[in-house]
Amino acid sequence: MVLCFIALPVFLVLSIFSAKYRALARRAMDCVLKTATLRPCDTGLDEEIKAASIAGIMKVSPAAASFVNRHMEALSLVFMLLMVLSIVFTAEGLYNYWAYGNCNGQQGGFCPISDIQNAALKVPSSVSGIMAGNQSANVTVIEFGCYTCPYTKTAEAGVRDMISQYGNRLSYVYEAFPIQTHPYSREAALAGLCANDEGKYWEYRASVFERQADLNANGTAVLYGIAKDLNLTQFDSCMSSGRHDVQLKNSTDECTSAGIYGTPTFFVNGKPYVGQTAIFDVQKEVKRLLGE
Amino acid sequence: MDIDKLRADFPVLQSSKAIYFDSACTSLKPRAVIDAEMDYYTSLSACAGRSHHTLAKKTEEKFAASRERIAKFVGAKPEELVFTKNTSEGLNLVVRSLNYSSRKKVITTPLEHHSLLLPIMEQQRRGIVKMEMLKVQQDGTIDDTSLSTIDSSTALVAIHHTTNTTGIRAPLEKIVKAAHDAGAMVLIDGAQGVPHSRVDFHKLGADFLAFSGHKMCGPTGIGCLVGKREAFEKLDTFIVGGETVETVSLQGVKWKSAPKRFEAGIQNYAGAIGLAAACDYLSKVGMQNIEEHEKKMARALLEAINSIPNSTIYGSATAQRSALVSFNLKGVAPHQVALMADSLSKIALRSGVFCAQIGMGALGAPKEGAVRASLYLYNTEEEVRIFAEAMQKIAKLG
Repeated sequence: MVLCFIALPVFLVLSIFSAKYRALARRAMDCVLKTATLRPCDTGLDEEIKAASIAGIMKVSPAAASFVNRHMEALSLVFMLLMVLSIVFTAEGLYNYWAYGNCNGQQGGFCPISDIQNAALKVPSSVSGIMAGNQSANVTVIEFGCYTCPYTKTAEAGVRDMISQYGNRLSYVYEAFPIQTHPYSREAALAGLCANDEGKYWEYRASVFERQADLNANGTAVLYGIAKDLNLTQFDSCMSSGRHDVQLKNSTDECTSAGIYGTPTFFVNGKPYVGQTAIFDVQKEVKRLLGE
Repeated sequence: MDIDKLRADFPVLQSSKAIYFDSACTSLKPRAVIDAEMDYYTSLSACAGRSHHTLAKKTEEKFAASRERIAKFVGAKPEELVFTKNTSEGLNLVVRSLNYSSRKKVITTPLEHHSLLLPIMEQQRRGIVKMEMLKVQQDGTIDDTSLSTIDSSTALVAIHHTTNTTGIRAPLEKIVKAAHDAGAMVLIDGAQGVPHSRVDFHKLGADFLAFSGHKMCGPTGIGCLVGKREAFEKLDTFIVGGETVETVSLQGVKWKSAPKRFEAGIQNYAGAIGLAAACDYLSKVGMQNIEEHEKKMARALLEAINSIPNSTIYGSATAQRSALVSFNLKGVAPHQVALMADSLSKIALRSGVFCAQIGMGALGAPKEGAVRASLYLYNTEEEVRIFAEAMQKIAKLG
């Protein structure tokens, strides 16, 4: 009886790919419905699954087959529990994907659905971020990052290395894409634009990544502290005036429209790379394009 | 009897490589039967006994010749053979059509297949008959002392030739004599008997004998009810329709005599032709040879199962039986045994109560029944050896 509960989702998934599993899925469904309505399950499917499983195990180890046969009910319950857990985790992953654009939620990480989605990512129609390198170089790397995102921070060292290693052979553009669920990400992005106004963007960027944990814990006071350390005289008025608010909103909206959902997102000559480890693929691609 | 040569006649054995131990359910079909049945559809495909064109005449000829060959196979005359759908229909025909106005008692045994037991029980439910049982001993044999139940109020004794649960034959000689001495008729369920041994209807002395084609290498959907002319005359009509009547008017119907009276509508010509081919095939192999081969197989089967610790065989091991054994392995459900035999060694077994729930209960089987291995002319000792190995492995699960 328990076996039918395990078999149903398995056969339902297999039914998508092969018609022969549809009849089995129907039998499993019949058994589940009967059990749910307190009627005896008479499809015989559980017996068939049990026999086929034990026969398969017996070919390898008769002792193991005997063990499985004696403890089939308990093992089935364990498998059912595992199945319920996997359904819960799958549902959580799907929710995370819906809410955060990544199966793993705010933390990001490998997400097969995201990888499929990444293939459809496009460079926003206008990108007006911070630039480095040679803007007329043949190889262009555009990064959409978030100052409070740990993955953007992880990628930062690789980005710096790349800029310094390839110099004028590379065109690099950074555009802030504050992730809404990251606290103070918008303020940090605005602060970056204000620092750029005073020509100290890269110093600000280094500091803000360095003090990311501090920023996440203590809020905007950390940003003002960085500004003070860098002697940014116009910083307070820049922030309070909302001078870059519209610019940031417009660029964020454009990124969202282009399908960007997480940070860091890189485009190397238009080809997208997303996530914590994307920088390694970016470096390889740049190297390849530069013929190294 | 060259089994290897004979096995080549059965396409399923070549294509599936299965060990087919489910012949009591239905047998495999030799190429000759398949070809004969197909030949009807490819070269005739017409009606018999109605139209007068060439194809119809040829169909009539083949149909009549088939009836003759099948009747001869069971030692009967062509006019004594009614084509039915299967054994169930033949048994229903007799039990439901017999006139019970002067005698109401129908005697049977708890070992009968549902195809025989249920029609009697239905007639009893309707108040038409009174059912009584011959006693069955724990070993599946009939207690001769209970034959005294057959008396002058008995209309019919309905009994198996060979049970489908143990493969044990009923003591038909004694039963037929007791029935006829009391003036009762005898109906024999020959489904498991006719395919496995030489059955001569007239020597048997019964009034009716029903059997199926598909259990004796023939096609499905065709069976026979063989009956004495005077016995058929005691039956009322059953299913009526085209070709069962001489004349029809609103004032009355003049029925044809048997067998036509009981063959309403277009018949299963292909099935009849196929069954005749099956009878020819079995005759060519020789029913005596088949019976001897089955005895050898039965011994091997019984030995194989007996050698498994904690196995239970239903029915007497010493009684005369066909190569059919019902058994259980301790601690492993019968369905599981059958399913695992299929998965492990492609052995086709039957499990359950074999449409004989009361019979299995009488034999002491549990509610879920037993496992049944039923062999036929195409099975080999090597197959029994593989079966034994598989059962030894499965038994260790218990």
